[in-house]
Amino acid sequence: MKSKKTHLLVFLMLGMFLGCSDDDGIGKDEEKPTISTAFGQGFPKGCELLKRGETYTFRARLDDNVELAAYSLDIHHNFDHHTHDDQKISCELGAVKEASNPWKLMENYTVEEGKTSCEIQLEITVPEDVDTGDYHCQYSVIDATGWQSRTAIDIKVVE
Amino acid sequence: MSSTRGVLSLICILSFLPAFAQKDFNIKGLVLDALTKIPLAGAGIAGDGVYTIADHAGEFTLTGVVEGSQELEVSYLGYATERVMLQVDRDTTEITIVLTPSNTELIGVEVYGKSRERRARETPGSIVEVSQEFMDANRENSLMQTLSRIPGVNTINIGSRQSKPVIRGLGFNRVSVVQNGIKHEAQQWGNDHGLEIDQYDVERVRIVKGPASMLYGSDALAGVVDIPSPAVPEPESFSGSVNLLGQTNNAMLGVSAGLSAREEKWYYRGRFTFKDYADYKVPTNQINFENYIFDLYKKHLRNTADQEANASFSIGYIAENISSETFFSNVYAKNGFFANAHGLEVRSSKIDYDRSSRDIDLPFHELNHFKLINNTAISINDHQLDIDLGFQYNWREEHSEPVPHGHMPKPDNSKEREFRKQTYALNASDTYVMGSHTLVGGVNLELQENAIGGWGFLIPAYTRFTAGIFAYDQFEINPKLHLQVGLRYDYGAVKIQPYYDWFPTEITTSSGMTSSKYLQRAWDETLDFDNISGSAGISYLSGNTTYKLNFGKSFRIPLANELASDGVNYHMYRFERGSTSLDPETSYQLDMVVSHEEEKFHFAISPFVNWFDNYIYLNPTSNYYETLQVYEYTQNKVFRVGGEVNVGTSLFERLHIDLSGEYVYASQQSGPKKGFTLPFSPPLSGLLSVKYKSEDFLFFRQPIFTAVYKVVSAQNEIVPPEAPTEGYQLIDLSWQTAIQPFRDYPAVKLRLKVSNVLNTKYFDHTSFYRLIAVPEAGRNLSLSLRIPIS
Repeated sequence: MKSKKTHLLVFLMLGMFLGCSDDDGIGKDEEKPTISTAFGQGFPKGCELLKRGETYTFRARLDDNVELAAYSLDIHHNFDHHTHDDQKISCELGAVKEASNPWKLMENYTVEEGKTSCEIQLEITVPEDVDTGDYHCQYSVIDATGWQSRTAIDIKVVE
Repeated sequence: MSSTRGVLSLICILSFLPAFAQKDFNIKGLVLDALTKIPLAGAGIAGDGVYTIADHAGEFTLTGVVEGSQELEVSYLGYATERVMLQVDRDTTEITIVLTPSNTELIGVEVYGKSRERRARETPGSIVEVSQEFMDANRENSLMQTLSRIPGVNTINIGSRQSKPVIRGLGFNRVSVVQNGIKHEAQQWGNDHGLEIDQYDVERVRIVKGPASMLYGSDALAGVVDIPSPAVPEPESFSGSVNLLGQTNNAMLGVSAGLSAREEKWYYRGRFTFKDYADYKVPTNQINFENYIFDLYKKHLRNTADQEANASFSIGYIAENISSETFFSNVYAKNGFFANAHGLEVRSSKIDYDRSSRDIDLPFHELNHFKLINNTAISINDHQLDIDLGFQYNWREEHSEPVPHGHMPKPDNSKEREFRKQTYALNASDTYVMGSHTLVGGVNLELQENAIGGWGFLIPAYTRFTAGIFAYDQFEINPKLHLQVGLRYDYGAVKIQPYYDWFPTEITTSSGMTSSKYLQRAWDETLDFDNISGSAGISYLSGNTTYKLNFGKSFRIPLANELASDGVNYHMYRFERGSTSLDPETSYQLDMVVSHEEEKFHFAISPFVNWFDNYIYLNPTSNYYETLQVYEYTQNKVFRVGGEVNVGTSLFERLHIDLSGEYVYASQQSGPKKGFTLPFSPPLSGLLSVKYKSEDFLFFRQPIFTAVYKVVSAQNEIVPPEAPTEGYQLIDLSWQTAIQPFRDYPAVKLRLKVSNVLNTKYFDHTSFYRLIAVPEAGRNLSLSLRIPIS
């Protein structure tokens, strides 16, 4: 008798256990946005050479399943070879050296509300006086949910 | 308890007396634990038609034993049954029977000492008492990995042997770790270091699953890992052991040696442990993290070698009304971190990591945790006064190759972070037994100072003071029905030290002017908090079945980084922003336990429902700060439900099958991530363990073969920035035995274990390295020997 009672209780509790476990988060955004320069007009591509004083149009394509929120562009030197890019090809890096006046660019932008895809175009001039050598160009994108994606490209600043 | 047993044995003896009035003899003897030589009060001694129980001193008298060749069977819960052949032709005295701890009777966690087991049954919360036997049978690289076999207990790991506790999906500062009565204060908040406790210093563990702030104060939201001081050695005793360890996966070599001795009233204990690990191996040649590819040399996860050196010493005094023990312990470790990426930061380096698998290059951390603790208990009439005093000095340095980041130029050294945390604690409580009421009242005081150094800023320097006062009543309505009600009040103050960047940042004002400024990252602020917590619960014991119901409110004072961080965490590639307006986190939880235990069958289910008013959550926002995503500490309502099931049975005497499962569901009910789960949510998992105890052969005693099959489902419940983790299945095999070449010499214990037998490549959702797509360790063969010294 007693064990029967126990078993009944256990089944009741198991029921509670399972009953509560169904997912109420329907419509949750679980997809990251994407960012890429791997299309015809995309810029820069891996191992791109950028001349000092020249102006370039940085182009990347952003996509998200729900809503894009913001993106950023970060350019910093890689004279110490501290990191590498995530492009399929690997670039020949120059010799390791100390930085004296490295090019530093950190810019954030927001995407207007409601967009799920856009192509960004940023007019950027390489300053005349910065160190030449290996640089790292990193794009990043965040969607409205807070998912982030990054892509990094090795570039070179030349005379 | 022991007097009850005495009476019981007496009854037993008396009841058998008349039946065997002729041609029978008395046998007197003693039952002891083979290793500790502690008397086993309550051990059962059975002969042909006669039976008795050993008294509090482990002594027994078996009366009415028939003349001739007789077999005695001596058994005790948690020990291997011993059979002794005797030629009975006169009254015999002074038979000593030693029992070896074993886990053949009941598997794993269900092996408790009897009185502890009874007490755990009477306490309303969901409590698991873990015996040394369990510890020895399941020992892994770290204390928490050893304990993670217990349903509802998981770990957050970095690498193969640093882990921190997770109870039912909550970890970090939501689980309290208490050792020798004092809360262990390390770097609970961070996710890239472990617990800093020598697991060989741990004899037994009490795991409280559920809200426990009423007793343990702030942080005991999800539960407590309570490590009590080891049992006091027996008078006039000297014993010890040497543990030798070896592993193949990480070429680990380890030794741990401990001694304990007692005169009449004074006793001493000492231990040292040394372990050296090489890089561990993963079952893959290549790691693909986002678009990055890291090729591994001989499947070695480069730069994950470790060194660990621990020492502890204690001196104690025990008399009738007073006992006092002072513990000194020091844990030192140097742990390498995976070289290609630490956190989400991908790194390449000129360091030749692959020249040796045993050296520790950058990045690494080095830590030292010193503790000085005194436990004193004084009995005066019906009162027992317990005083625990503690001092802890936790030092940790994190080193990585200096690189420029954002506006920060390249630092001139590798010391990225340093933490020097000192904690002073005083706990005092009085236990007063008044009839069927056990009344306990007490205070907890803690003062903590955290100083920081290094070129990376993450958590500010701070001073924190907390004080708590509590009282509870454990009321025995009748021997089957127990009620526990308690209330607690806490006050806490956190004084945060200001912090400025050591490098200037170029600021462009709205008018287009640029200026250079040393940015302030933490402000000089003093914040105070208070909270009322409590719990009420009931337990009902009906034969072999226990029913428990407990409701509790627990809390946690926000951490300094949650309140005041305002800087870049480069390892995680994010900007973290605290909020001084955070309230103490409060959680309400209802726990239920039904467990049933018979000789050959046991069953337990422990579901819970939990509600957080204001869970502190580091929310990834849609904003940038200097091209890094801004994460902000926010407070959200969270609903959680889950529990554990455990069922086991013995078949054909020698075989024991045990099945357990655990599940947690968590959902944020408000805030920017409404509908999402919480970070590091453990997936549904099940464990099937089969134990087979074979016959003794050659000089192998009580050999036990164990096969463990673990099934973990996929975790698709994620929250940014997590990725779903696929399910996996794992098989572990082990064989343990005692080796006794000479009958009078205590047995050497041996354990051979193969983990991840099939060398499965799998990802653990609650591993720190999961974020960078590093799989868990591959196949490992480990050998451990425990050699007693007496």
